[in-house]
Amino acid sequence: MSVGMLTPELTRLRRILAAAGWSGLGLIAIAVMLADFLARAPLGAAHTGPVLAAPSEAFPFGTDLLGRDMFSETLYGLSTTVAQAGEAAVLALLAGGLLGFVCAHLPRPAGNVLRWAIGAFAAIPALLLALAMVALTARGYAGLAAGLAAAPLAFVRAFDRARAAGRLGHAEYARATGISASALLNRDLAYEFRDTLLPTLARALAAVAIILSTMSFLGFGALPPHRDLGLMIAAARTSYLEAWWTVAFPALALMLLILLARLAAGLDEGERP
Amino acid sequence: MWRFALKEGGKWVLALFGALLIAAALSALADPGPYLAAFGNRLMAFLSLDPGRSTISGLPAARELAMHGPATADVVLLGALMALMLGLPLGLLLGTGGMRRATAPVIQIVSAAPVFCACLALAYAAFHLFGIRPDTASRVTTLFLPTVAVGLAGTAAVQMALRRAASLAQDSPFRLGLRRLGLTAMEIERVYVAPQIFAGLLESLGEVMLTLLSAAVVAEWVFQSHGIAELFVKSVALHDWSMAAPILLVFAALTCTAEFLGRVGSRVLMRAAS
Repeated sequence: MSVGMLTPELTRLRRILAAAGWSGLGLIAIAVMLADFLARAPLGAAHTGPVLAAPSEAFPFGTDLLGRDMFSETLYGLSTTVAQAGEAAVLALLAGGLLGFVCAHLPRPAGNVLRWAIGAFAAIPALLLALAMVALTARGYAGLAAGLAAAPLAFVRAFDRARAAGRLGHAEYARATGISASALLNRDLAYEFRDTLLPTLARALAAVAIILSTMSFLGFGALPPHRDLGLMIAAARTSYLEAWWTVAFPALALMLLILLARLAAGLDEGERP
Repeated sequence: MWRFALKEGGKWVLALFGALLIAAALSALADPGPYLAAFGNRLMAFLSLDPGRSTISGLPAARELAMHGPATADVVLLGALMALMLGLPLGLLLGTGGMRRATAPVIQIVSAAPVFCACLALAYAAFHLFGIRPDTASRVTTLFLPTVAVGLAGTAAVQMALRRAASLAQDSPFRLGLRRLGLTAMEIERVYVAPQIFAGLLESLGEVMLTLLSAAVVAEWVFQSHGIAELFVKSVALHDWSMAAPILLVFAALTCTAEFLGRVGSRVLMRAAS
């Protein structure tokens, strides 16, 4: 994952930022689990206040076009986004990173064919792939579609990294001394994922959260009444020019989730999730 | 060099063929007959440059592409231009030495904003600063604002690519060797490091293209600019696979071509520098 040699100070700073990212994600997870207790109104409850009331002491995030409490709705929306993005991130990790790594250890012709086939999908923007997959199945499968759409790029990167590692001295030496391919794969898998499993998962979480919320924004994601942040923002498009808070708070919640996931991943400079 | 270009050319052709297979597989869903036969027919049709007819409008898909393509081409090309004009100087300014490390958290925060949030922020600013409503059709809403949104997404991608390349070059062991040979820091930066950084950007050209195309889909949707990116979303929503497939093929072909040109360009640059 490291792009260059890191100075001890930079390594320390990165560790602090990663710890802050994980702590923030932990707080979000707690808030999501306690959403029913923390929310001031039930999910989707209309007319809990005046229509399009600006943020105030009574309604800290204001209210929307149906008089729903924006604080409660943002909390519920965050819950839906986190739940779906969590599933999608695990799927992207398994179908992308892990599979790519294992396929790189297959016999060369089989590996190359798989690399080519999945590489063709990686040339298509993940958002477009996800939209097509949801249209082919159902909107309930948005999480699955986002995870699978993010997988090809992760597969290609993991495959290329593993192939490069296979040309290193230790691999040549292992093969020359008769160590089996499966033993070498086990060793490489342990080294690849021992230290990087959680950062890779956090990186996948950031990527799929963007895909999922964009899908919902375009009308391909979450289904009401379980609105996610993307759908909330899409629904506020008719009112946000006069009532900024109907978009600003869900958007800030989404950006916070993505930012914390990126910090937790300890992304290097220039590294994309 | 020629061997490298031929090898990359082979990869490019294979990637295009892969994209063609995906497009044919998707397009075959529009045919009511047996799937494999439909897939074969669509593949042959694509190879003879006939992408079929839109099941919604009834028009040939090629004509729809020709009608809607220029709008997307304008947005993507102008966005790419803006990305280069903003991203290159910013990337070089903020991507070197201590500045690179100091601005790293800022870059992460800025790039955490999804494109649709940036589009809505732009529309909000346009309305409150200039009184332009995003739902009125004008050159500002259908061209300028989508271009800015795509350009900003592209700028972030160019920044990322430059920072990655700068980060790699920063810690390269050749720096110390060249200093010991008596070269000044400026000479090392200009003659050895700058080509590496630009080669790194070229290597990431496919990634930049993916970002521009994804951003174009969202920007056209938000600002109701009727390009092929918006047409793709509508086609997919209405299950018009014979229209969605050629658009997907066009996007995949653009990405593969950008990747191919970037790799060859990067190699040429590095050879010229050495």
